Amino acid sequence: MKSSNINRVARRSYSAGYLLAFLLLLLTAVPHVHAKQMDQEQTMAKLQKMTPARGYIDAHKNLEKPLGLLGGPVEVTITQTSGGVFVSLPDQRRLDPNVFGTPEMPRAFSGTPGVNGVPLMARGVEHSAYTVMKPLSPFGDKYTVMAEGKLSLKAVDATATDAAKTEDAVNMMASWKDQDGNTYEVRCCQMLAAHGMEFPTFGGVVTNHILHGFTRIGTALMPSEYAYFAFWGMGEVKKNGVVLDKPRLVHGMLTEYVRKEGYKLAFDDEVTPTRQHFHLMVAPFMPVMEEGRFTKKPVKTGFNLPNGMELPFWHVMFENLEIDSKRSE
Amino acid sequence: MVALVGGIGLQTPHPKTEEPVTVVELTNMLMFMPETVRIRAGTTVEWRNTSLLVHTITADPDLATLAESVQLPEGAKSFNSGNLDAKATFRHTFDVPGTYVYFCIPHEGAMMRGTVIVEPIVQ
Ligand SMILES: [Cu+2]
Repeated sequence: MKSSNINRVARRSYSAGYLLAFLLLLLTAVPHVHAKQMDQEQTMAKLQKMTPARGYIDAHKNLEKPLGLLGGPVEVTITQTSGGVFVSLPDQRRLDPNVFGTPEMPRAFSGTPGVNGVPLMARGVEHSAYTVMKPLSPFGDKYTVMAEGKLSLKAVDATATDAAKTEDAVNMMASWKDQDGNTYEVRCCQMLAAHGMEFPTFGGVVTNHILHGFTRIGTALMPSEYAYFAFWGMGEVKKNGVVLDKPRLVHGMLTEYVRKEGYKLAFDDEVTPTRQHFHLMVAPFMPVMEEGRFTKKPVKTGFNLPNGMELPFWHVMFENLEIDSKRSE
Repeated sequence: MVALVGGIGLQTPHPKTEEPVTVVELTNMLMFMPETVRIRAGTTVEWRNTSLLVHTITADPDLATLAESVQLPEGAKSFNSGNLDAKATFRHTFDVPGTYVYFCIPHEGAMMRGTVIVEPIVQ
């Protein structure tokens, strides 16, 4: 076993592939009946093994010299200088039959629950159709608005595929303020996810690719959406200038508009292709690399919900954007 | 006087004394409140951004990406507030009778739309 610097980079970047993981409390939700718990653990292990991109990622994760993008690297700049942001609150996600199928013909159930698919036992059923994912997640209709949203992002998409090393780069600073004047901030990426684990990350940055929903690239709980730009990496979470949590998995993406009237999260057939917004996600999960599994780890956001509980993730949308991009030489 | 329409400018905190003004608020819920207003021709509508978000008041088909976002009566000119920050206001006087549907550019996908019904002045 080598322990070169590159290897450590690869191992840590590997972890970032588990982005968009979230609060799925399958194991803790059942009583402590030993046999039942064993069954659930085995089911979980099977689901994780079945994730659709596993073979693809195995073929790419040790790649030392990945190829570049067709047409050359793309430089992207995304900025928001004023205006509030939408902050998602924990909610039950309505399940889109386009993505999750029906109880008779289920789809999108494998992978770490919520990171990739949604297991059948987490789905509500009524009149032979799926209703909602029972546990709360960052992907729902509930939100609050916070003031003074600022976003400054510069990135390069150079590496095409997943690999052990990447030429991609992201430098992002995002911040917003609550009504008491506290400033929340996310910075990324000290390290990019050069390759994914349950789904590809394209060297950490991808441009002009469809994600989420039926694609199984990222959580299926977000609708299938065209992403003009997306990244996965390790960053830090701050409040009033003080680091509260680090390193954390951070995912950002500029996509077509996936909210509908009342800011409800769209199903696939409700997306508006002609408008865009930027999504920022700090996921409440951390990978345990040695064991190849995740542990739930709430993000220390420093923001308390009305019930006194700390918001365990950031899922924030920026919608007053200036966007610039070009092919670099 | 036909088609004497045009934005009367941003950041106008106080209406002129005799001019009738109808107020519409822009909200965090991505709604114009009230969603529909009914006014007499010659009335000025003042939009107040009471939300934390940037919104626009846009009745210009060239700026819409969905056909349902804008409707203008024949002879009425299009208008657009540009980005309205929190607490900013925008005013527009409606002289041409008919039904106007307008929208907010950043929240067009979330169906943030309003209607102004302008009734003719009865002599
Ligand atoms: Cu708006």
